[in-house]
Amino acid sequence: MANAPLLDRKFLERLERLTIHWQKSFPGLVGGHNRSRLPGGGQEFLDHRHFHQGDDLRAVNWRAYMRLDKMFLKLFQVEPRVPVRMLLDISESMAAGKSGKFDYARKLAGALCYVGLVRLDTIEVLPFSEKLREGKTSGGGRHRFTPLSRFLQDLEPAGTTSFLKIVREYLNDFPQRGLVIVISDFLDDGGCEKALQYLADYGNELMLIQVWADEDRTPPWNGECDFVEAESGAKLHIHVDSEARARYTEEFDKFAAGIRSVAMRNSGRYAAIPTSVPLDEAIFGKLLQARSVA
Amino acid sequence: MFLNLSIGEFLAIFGVIAAFTTALYLLDRTRRKQVVATLRFWVTPGLPSPVTRRRKIQQPISLLMQLAGMLLLLLAIAELHWGGAMRARRDHVLIIDTSAWMRASAPGRPNATLMDLARANAIAWLRAVPDSDRVLLVRADALATPATAWETDHVKVARAILESRAGATEINLRQSLQFARDLQKQSGSQGGEIAYDGPGRITAADADSGTPDVPILRVLDVPDPSENVGIRSVGARRSTSAHDSWDLLVRLRNYGKSPRTVNLTLNLAHAPMGAHSVQIPAQSEQTTTFELHTKGAGIAEVRLYPLDPFGADNYAAIELPAQRSLHVIVYSDSPEAWKPALEADPRVSPEFRKPSEFTTANNGLIIIDRFHPAQTPGGNTLWIDPPDRSPIPIREHVTAPENLRWAPDEPLAAGLREHDLEVPATAVLETGANDIRVAEIDRGPIIAARASADGKTKTIVMGFNPFAPSLRYELAAPLLLANELRWFAPDVFRDVDVVAQSPGSVTDTIAARNTPVEVVSESGANLPFNIRSGRIQFFSGIAQRVNVIAGNTERAYSLTLPEMWDEKWTPPAGARHGIPAWNDAIRRGTDLWPWLALLGAALLVAEYLIYGRETSALLRVVRAHMEKAA
Repeated sequence: MANAPLLDRKFLERLERLTIHWQKSFPGLVGGHNRSRLPGGGQEFLDHRHFHQGDDLRAVNWRAYMRLDKMFLKLFQVEPRVPVRMLLDISESMAAGKSGKFDYARKLAGALCYVGLVRLDTIEVLPFSEKLREGKTSGGGRHRFTPLSRFLQDLEPAGTTSFLKIVREYLNDFPQRGLVIVISDFLDDGGCEKALQYLADYGNELMLIQVWADEDRTPPWNGECDFVEAESGAKLHIHVDSEARARYTEEFDKFAAGIRSVAMRNSGRYAAIPTSVPLDEAIFGKLLQARSVA
Repeated sequence: MFLNLSIGEFLAIFGVIAAFTTALYLLDRTRRKQVVATLRFWVTPGLPSPVTRRRKIQQPISLLMQLAGMLLLLLAIAELHWGGAMRARRDHVLIIDTSAWMRASAPGRPNATLMDLARANAIAWLRAVPDSDRVLLVRADALATPATAWETDHVKVARAILESRAGATEINLRQSLQFARDLQKQSGSQGGEIAYDGPGRITAADADSGTPDVPILRVLDVPDPSENVGIRSVGARRSTSAHDSWDLLVRLRNYGKSPRTVNLTLNLAHAPMGAHSVQIPAQSEQTTTFELHTKGAGIAEVRLYPLDPFGADNYAAIELPAQRSLHVIVYSDSPEAWKPALEADPRVSPEFRKPSEFTTANNGLIIIDRFHPAQTPGGNTLWIDPPDRSPIPIREHVTAPENLRWAPDEPLAAGLREHDLEVPATAVLETGANDIRVAEIDRGPIIAARASADGKTKTIVMGFNPFAPSLRYELAAPLLLANELRWFAPDVFRDVDVVAQSPGSVTDTIAARNTPVEVVSESGANLPFNIRSGRIQFFSGIAQRVNVIAGNTERAYSLTLPEMWDEKWTPPAGARHGIPAWNDAIRRGTDLWPWLALLGAALLVAEYLIYGRETSALLRVVRAHMEKAA
């Protein structure tokens, strides 16, 4: 159904009580909803410090100067508007099989975008495969969701995944630190842990959402199989039995644990969501548990 | 050799199964192309890459095990037997004698009948038959009737044996053996034994026709009593001397080997009517006669004393019908002319009245002699030369009519010839389409009969007076009157004979020719019959009463006496006797099919466990070893 909405209205109404949550303090202009430890032009008092040349005289505590004859500057707590950037994997691997992993990821991205838009966050969706594609920036309320939804619906899976390339590109293009939401299957033959670590090292907070199809973790096939990798076209001819399948699942779990450890190590969050889990359960269950939304 | 399939059928079926199995096998082992998100987890770093096979048939032992399992199961279905034809599965026929004689008490065992001994014999023989052999039970009396189909389930046959009861007819052994032989030929399998279970008492006709050729005949002898005297038939006929008497003819037979003196009693309606003492030589028949005086109906019972082991032929009962008469009221001014003709027959009770005494009351027949009553009578009426208002209109009166003709093939004119009667004057009648023109002259009918649609009311109009003085010496006049009386009341004038005899095939002479014949059972059903050379033949397999009505005669058969044998059958010299011993040929034979079935099933289960989709670690090791060996 080409004209069907990405997410239905009832589900969007349920999303309105959520907020995208991050832990790090980022500099930025007033207008956000997460407090920052950095002083700024806020309303709530934070601290005093000595006046230095060049400081704004309006922030000097004149009462303290009268009493102590020293100039102290009042510092205020700020709730900055932090840019939320969402890296959405649109590589061929997301479209492999019949489980609709790509579609699921698009819906998940749309849902998170809507949560951010409702809280007046600025959301920038950046599709990627082997490079960053042209993104879509939205902000200013829920009424901006429709163009963003259309943008997501127009995306087509293509290309191979290369996290190192896209992270390098990202860091060049977006030097301002902020929350980076990565929605992907993280299946990159070159490895993704190192690239994700770069992102974190540059001060970004990571929210890693690993989407997988059931067949990605527990393959259902038996017997002689010719496997073709969706992205590279590489072929593997093997005999699959229960032992091979168990070994496969074990390897997959190790891989997922590696991604999770990257997130945890850098004070980020990680959620593993199989496509068999309904979308609302993923949002209100897995992501809430991971404190990605609150 | 195979019992269930020919070698061609076996090869064809196995070929189809093998091709189908191989096709499924190859299809199951066909490599499936699958697009996946990644291959990285299939190849574990540091471990060799998964096994890749290049052979077309990946697990030949699995395929061979499947084919071998199928082959063994098919061999089990085909019932493979080692050895020749003697060890093949066979079809046996068990003929159990259910003749009337089987009701006799067993010698030395007064509480058991011959049927009980035959059932015990049959069960014992059935136990000796191998389970794989098929058995068909035939119950044999006058007709051989299969009681079961070809059964390998011997419990069903045993049940049918226990349900067998003695019948009322004698066994037709030749027909039974021939029937069993035909059944074996048509079964399509190896013929087994034909076992006859009974005392071997047969009729003389059966003995004359000989024993048919039976390849393997076994006789299960049933010892039977040697001494018996019984009633073979009882016949009752109206006495020729006194019309209210019956002559009863009782035929007795001594089946034993020594002469016997027996007492015979006759009861009518439980009242003793006579007794005779009869001496009968060995193996011969004797007849005795009773005269019974009665006009009413009743059951005449004949009993034979002393009682012997076979009581069924010591008693016979026949139902005697009542002596009926026709009440005739003659309204005539000259009754003396009618009296000789009407009083001659005891079945007619005439009453003579003057025309002035006329009433319409009629419980038989009214004869109105040359007058017309004020009221038209109901019921059967014979009008003699009615002066006016005749029921059949009078067209004209003719004097000295010529060319008198009688209606051919008409019971009313039976026995009359054209020149038997010379009528001086007569009325000519105007008959309708449905009227019977009994006699006519050139100008038209002079005697006509009319029956109502339901046949209950009959009318005859005669255009002349048959008992006029001028016709006094004409023989045709009383004969014509007799015909008319029979036509009015056929039941009254019917000659009735009553016979008690045994059921089965009944053959008797039939007096009336060219008349409709009916053979009616007591349930009202018409039995099939044939008439050949003046003899009627019909069959009744059960004890019942059958009436044969032919024209003016009726014979009531009370088929209640058991049909009895005449001789002892002598089995052919090559016949086997008794229950088969443990080493008898009938018991030999090795059934391989259970072992083949077990082995085939075990192979298939092993193949599933070793090569099935979900195999245990232990069996995987076994499989690895087998693959290495392959």
